Amino acid sequence: MFLNLSYRLRRLAPIGLAVVVLFAFGALVVLAQDAPAPLDVVNFELCSDFGGVTVDVFGDAGHNLKPYEFWADDFAQMGITVNIVDAPFNDVYSRLQTEFIAQSGAFDVVTFYPAYIGDFAGNGYLMPLDEFMGREPAAVWDPVQDDVLAPFRELYNKFGGETYALTIDGDVLVMMYRQDLFDNPDEQAAFQAQYGHELRPPETWDEWLEVGEFFTRDAGEMLAGETLEQPFYGLGEYGQRGFSYAWYLNRFASSGGIYFDENMNPLINTPEAAAGLQNMVDALQYAPPGVLGYGYDQLRDAFIQGQVAMVVQWTDVPKKAGDPTQGSVIAGRVGVGRVPGTLVGDSVVHRSMMPVGRVVGIAADSDQPEAAYCIAKYIAYNRSLEDVSSSLTGLDPYRMTHLEHPEAYTMFESEDAARAYLEGLQVALADGFPEIFIPGAAAYNDALDLQVNRALAGEVSPQEALDAVAAEWNNITDSLGRDRQVELWRQALESYRALGLIQ
Amino acid sequence: MTVSTSAASTPFVSWAQRVFTPRRVVALAFVLPALVILLLITIYPLLYTLRLTVVQWELSNARAPIEFVGLNNFGRVLGDARFWNAMRNTGILIGVGVSLELVIGVGLALLLNQVVRFRSVLVALFLIPVLIAPVVSGYMFRLILHADVGPLNYLIYLITQGSSRGFGWLSDTHYALMSIMVTTIWQWTPFLMLIALAGLQSIPQEIIESALVDGAADWRIFWSIKLPLIFPVLSVGLLIRIMDTFKTFDLVYLLTSGGPGSATETVAYYTYLKGFRDFSMGYTAAMAFVQLVIIVIIARLILAMQKRQRREDYA
Repeated sequence: MFLNLSYRLRRLAPIGLAVVVLFAFGALVVLAQDAPAPLDVVNFELCSDFGGVTVDVFGDAGHNLKPYEFWADDFAQMGITVNIVDAPFNDVYSRLQTEFIAQSGAFDVVTFYPAYIGDFAGNGYLMPLDEFMGREPAAVWDPVQDDVLAPFRELYNKFGGETYALTIDGDVLVMMYRQDLFDNPDEQAAFQAQYGHELRPPETWDEWLEVGEFFTRDAGEMLAGETLEQPFYGLGEYGQRGFSYAWYLNRFASSGGIYFDENMNPLINTPEAAAGLQNMVDALQYAPPGVLGYGYDQLRDAFIQGQVAMVVQWTDVPKKAGDPTQGSVIAGRVGVGRVPGTLVGDSVVHRSMMPVGRVVGIAADSDQPEAAYCIAKYIAYNRSLEDVSSSLTGLDPYRMTHLEHPEAYTMFESEDAARAYLEGLQVALADGFPEIFIPGAAAYNDALDLQVNRALAGEVSPQEALDAVAAEWNNITDSLGRDRQVELWRQALESYRALGLIQ
Repeated sequence: MTVSTSAASTPFVSWAQRVFTPRRVVALAFVLPALVILLLITIYPLLYTLRLTVVQWELSNARAPIEFVGLNNFGRVLGDARFWNAMRNTGILIGVGVSLELVIGVGLALLLNQVVRFRSVLVALFLIPVLIAPVVSGYMFRLILHADVGPLNYLIYLITQGSSRGFGWLSDTHYALMSIMVTTIWQWTPFLMLIALAGLQSIPQEIIESALVDGAADWRIFWSIKLPLIFPVLSVGLLIRIMDTFKTFDLVYLLTSGGPGSATETVAYYTYLKGFRDFSMGYTAAMAFVQLVIIVIIARLILAMQKRQRREDYA
């Protein structure tokens, strides 16, 4: 019996060993992905020990809260324990607004989308940060705002001339495409024959449709010398309710559109605006059939899994597309470029919407404002390069420092590929166009999103949709108090002018 | 001459003595705590909401004053095309969806009522969807119905031997509401099945046997005996499901966010957006009250039908 047991153990040993090795390997992989390595590119010092306080941090659930876990040891050195509270992506505004109105004091550091800065700072729910930012020593307190790219610093951090928030995620939309398809000689020749000019990444929204049409193929057809087993689509759009409006606004803004005139009369339903929406409606025929259900995840996956030739997406997607460990089957074959524009006069105007983005602020009713600021400043500056250059997060560059260190973006196959990504991003940022960020932004955007989505679904024509938006925007402005809205909008227009976004 | 000044002789006091007998005072003392709690947690919020219906209160602008606007909010609700579109979608979910739940639920209950062995096991299996949290079922169906990678479209692809790649179940305006309806039917039919089964099992066997002796066919037995007898309990289940469907929010939130367009926006989802996205408290309160009135009317109709059925039974 003993021999029998020994024999069995000997037979089981290799299996057991394999299990142990696999487990160890899995643990190593998990540990390796636990946090990005410190790069120590910027100089900073930690705040002095707060002696064991807890700071409640709020943000949208998912990978963008990971930095609070990455750097927990440093927080512990400051005597701070971070307690993370999250909410679904679409519920950040309602959750925060509810807590602020109730003056619950539930959060110290709040992460939110900068479009809401008018609502939160304008209503006194956030603490001004200028006093903290000016303290000495600078290495501890100064978040080096001069390093932050101007649109984020001026539009997304300030309200009424004071700084209420620090950027931690520099969202801007960028076009990405399958470089290998555009470089393929057979495809180039076929395109030339069909359209009478050379194949290139689309410069205008009309070209977007043309290239989209060209690359849309059925299963069984050839694409770049290979027979397709699945249908292939020319383009993808964000079709789901929530942020579909931003994909429309790329078109609207590039045609010279601005949301309101000086007196808050909506300018969203001009003929140019309707033409932009018609372009988006027309694009759907070259997109996958379920595109009206596509949000961020689905649009990202359609691209990185090789189902579509080009998409406009947030700037974290090229990082994921370049990283096979993130499920990409197109690593090394991705091009990044400007979001298409509109021919205005003799030149093409490009505008890239800056939807979402993330900033951190300190709740006005926080009982740990100093410790909360130290956490906010740490995330916004100290380790921000590590956070935005990691594919473990969805955070995007927003500082010059982030653009000057391609070596940090190790998910790309080479430093040149990372540099190309950062250059494309810099160009996109130069085209950046902000969302509405005066009070009521959520209501204005929701009204626009609904009608854009109705037009995409074929429920109404683009002009009818935008007329309905204009009517609803007037209702919202009246209900919020037209005089105050006009005053705040005029301030916003000044910022737009200062950044050269409008004349 | 004596003038009686005794309070006992006044009409009020004698009425009070008649009404507040010691026995009644004790009873009232026992009921009072529950009554106070009920007033605090139900009646007070209801009255507070009613008060909100006549003001304009925009919480997204904390500095804006609360203004009295009379019945203006109700006028806006009645003229709000988006609200009526949401009502229409909710009406379809109730009219078609709950009706199908009822028909399938009663059908399953009739079948299970015939089963003798393993009935409890089968009932337990059928009840699994009811036990699943709507959030979980929402995610399950989001995967199943995914246009590109969902197993349903893959099955269609296999069955049609590649000639069809299926449909945009959640992204096509023609199918999106139906997809939500199918999810609710899948989840809640067993609930009505359970209620119908309980009703069927409470019917005395002698009545059925007498009908069989009289030569009644199965269909006649069901239509003239079983259905009227289970109607009271079934109507309660139906009422619960109608009220529940009126509040459909979670599945819409998870599956479509009200889209594509406004194809799946239900009245509960629209109320949520107005209340917790726009923070228009007066308008949202008016919407809530319109819904309350509609649901009360529906409930009264069902209860009246139930009452009439009882009267007919007694007659």
